[in-house]
Amino acid sequence: MQDGLVMMKLDDFLNWGRKNSLWPMTFGLACCAIEMMATGAAKYDLERFGCGAFMATPRRADLMIVAGTVTLKMATRIQTLYEQMPEPKYVISMGSCANKGGPYWQHGYHVLKGVDEIVPVDVYVPGCPPRPESLIEGIMTLQKKIANERLVRDKWVKHA
Amino acid sequence: MHSELVGKINSAVSGANAEHIAAEVGDDSIFVSSEKILDVCKFLYSAAGNEFNVLQVVTGTDYDDRIEVSYILASFINNLELILKTKLSKSSADATPEIDSVCEVWKSADFLERETYDMVGVIFRNHPDLRRLLCPQDWEGWPLRKDYVVQKTYAGMEVNPEHKINSADIYFGEKMKQGAPEPKKVSYSWKKPEFYPEGAAPAANKTTTEGE
Repeated sequence: MQDGLVMMKLDDFLNWGRKNSLWPMTFGLACCAIEMMATGAAKYDLERFGCGAFMATPRRADLMIVAGTVTLKMATRIQTLYEQMPEPKYVISMGSCANKGGPYWQHGYHVLKGVDEIVPVDVYVPGCPPRPESLIEGIMTLQKKIANERLVRDKWVKHA
Repeated sequence: MHSELVGKINSAVSGANAEHIAAEVGDDSIFVSSEKILDVCKFLYSAAGNEFNVLQVVTGTDYDDRIEVSYILASFINNLELILKTKLSKSSADATPEIDSVCEVWKSADFLERETYDMVGVIFRNHPDLRRLLCPQDWEGWPLRKDYVVQKTYAGMEVNPEHKINSADIYFGEKMKQGAPEPKKVSYSWKKPEFYPEGAAPAANKTTTEGE
């Protein structure tokens, strides 16, 4: 056989490409960001999953890891950043604060009680802060989710 | 140091009414009249023997009838540290009392005074740029006041959404108090043998310790 030929569904082909090149945005809010940095660094090596390329701009990112406390002042900026990301885009809510307000759930006047109030969240990673293993598991869960997407049915295809 | 400094301040700045407050716990402080705070600070900055050349902290404390603004000064020349306090009377609960800015004495007062303005609502006269420092510019109220009630929404976002708050558990401390007959007693449950797998329990004399 001179030319290689692989037969597969278009969905599977696109999902395979997307899930193995998730580029997160360089974006950390609090102490969870330290764990996110550790995850990206040599010991935990996020690059194994194809998502170690932290992009310094939302325009080139596929994944927003909301790592840390979302204050109300920051929430408006997060909305802007999310809107600047090109589709398809995914959000991981990392840590208790981003999930549901964390320790600020009752008396934190300045904290948004969960980032899902403003942007749609795909995967929640619990922990305060989550260990790098947890974040890696969150990313792998997201990859499984992406692998099961269907081109014409999913949220990011607006007019299919 | 404090009593001789009080004498110096009173003789140099008329109407400063400096008095030495001895603290039961912690460090002593000097109270001065709020109208003369700028003159007192200029004196403390420049007078020979003091030379308080560093302003470390400006902060405010809300009491029911007054707001106390505290300044922590340091002299790196003479190795001194001083807590300077002043009282501002508050006519009503949401009044914003005014005091002179000390920015012209220490540049570092800029952000410290902005933070104090942001958190307890003290207006600093002649401040170069008196805006909120930490809260958003359109935030309502002064968060570190005792009677502060947070606003319901900010920029279309609910600050305390009902569906996110477990109202059955919101007075968690109260529930703990009612439920526990001796709230301060420590159960030491983690030292009991059944807490551990076979053969891993700590020594027997420690497992029987109940309370302290």
